[in-house]
Amino acid sequence: MRQEPEWEPKLLGFLCKWCSYAGADLAGTSRKKYPASIRAIKVPCSGRVDPLFILKALRLGFDGVLVSGCHPGDCHYQTGNYRARRRMAITKKFLEYMGVEPQRIQASWVSASEGGKFAEVITEVTKGLKEVGPNRLFADERDGTEATERG
Amino acid sequence: MKEMEQKLQNEAKALLEQGKVDYIIGFEPGSLKFTTTPLITRDKNDVGRMVIDSFIVNNLADFLTELKGRVGIVAKGCDSRSIVSLIQDNKIARENVVILGVPCAGIIDLGKVEKLIGKDRDELDDIGREGDKVVITADGKTSEFLITEVLFDNCLGCELPTPQEYDILLGEPTLPVVDKTVSQKKIEQLKEMAPEQRWDFWKSEFSRCIRCYACRNVCPACFCERCFVEETEPQWLMPLPRWQDNLMFQVIRNIHVAGRCTDCGECERACPVNIPLRSLTKEMYDIVGELFHFKTGMDIDTLPLMTHYEQEEAEDFIR
Repeated sequence: MRQEPEWEPKLLGFLCKWCSYAGADLAGTSRKKYPASIRAIKVPCSGRVDPLFILKALRLGFDGVLVSGCHPGDCHYQTGNYRARRRMAITKKFLEYMGVEPQRIQASWVSASEGGKFAEVITEVTKGLKEVGPNRLFADERDGTEATERG
Repeated sequence: MKEMEQKLQNEAKALLEQGKVDYIIGFEPGSLKFTTTPLITRDKNDVGRMVIDSFIVNNLADFLTELKGRVGIVAKGCDSRSIVSLIQDNKIARENVVILGVPCAGIIDLGKVEKLIGKDRDELDDIGREGDKVVITADGKTSEFLITEVLFDNCLGCELPTPQEYDILLGEPTLPVVDKTVSQKKIEQLKEMAPEQRWDFWKSEFSRCIRCYACRNVCPACFCERCFVEETEPQWLMPLPRWQDNLMFQVIRNIHVAGRCTDCGECERACPVNIPLRSLTKEMYDIVGELFHFKTGMDIDTLPLMTHYEQEEAEDFIR
């Protein structure tokens, strides 16, 4: 019998072009090991991330969403990450109130020099997602909708 | 209330006669018992119909973004904060509104009255207020209840019943009639549930949603000319009212009105399928209060919540 491979969570990462995306590159070139759970989307700034993206990702069946940007004070556009921080804070709190597991909504500050930190963040986030299991939030047995949007 | 009504009619008439405003927005008696309906007029002969009573539910600030010119508007405590919020967002100019402030004594929830009496609103003869009591007459019999038993949940959580910003105040400032336990009851019940139960609760609530967008249309904070739900490139939401999309719509709507919502309760009242929307908006109201010490519409010079930031603030959730 074929062995079922262990379930790997799907994590959608919005990585800021100036810091976290470069940090992810550095993690790769320094051959850091981290789980292959992340699908990275390069955004110009963490301030680009609309809470709508996060909801849509969950709706599409991603198990978790990570928004990562420059450390406070380091934003290439001066204020983008501060705005992202406010937005993420209310989005996370509000979704938790509605019943979304806190592990699914994640944020981090990773600079371009922090390849090691990037690997650590992904490892920890993936571990958290494995604890909560697959995203069944938008699945519906009654109408046969799978976890993903179009079934 | 009668003096306030008289003063309002005089002031509104004067404003129109002197050409200080192009429009007056207020309330007139509705076609059903114990209801009022918004009155928007340019005609000074209409102002005689204007009323102020315990049933002026609507948040009239919603009409401000649709009218051109200078407008005189009747505003309760929560409505005046909605107006200030619109000014902060540059949707209207302060000099174009004349705020006729109503110190609000709370709005009576007819649903609660019907439950207490066990009769339909049409069968009631009178609902009167005497201090902290409400006197209800039906079939020649009168019964008394505490005012806290019949006010809307959001009124019972109201801390600022007297308008914060006004040009003309129509009466003496009032003290809030607060009963936080009743006001927060539904939210507290939800918070006691396990996360999966909470999600299931909202899932079943939003299964009823028909996506009529009444909640959005009645909300003064929902002022976008083109709402994200109407976008087709990309299409964020499927147009079919399935619960998944209904829920997503409401979550995003709540995030968009964060820091603009004044807990006026209009969304919940407008909902034709009785989804407890205030349990969402009030929680968001409390979240921004707790995280950013932000209270909507207190001061016209404050920047909108999501357009500014403090260097040191809530970030314990960030890795």
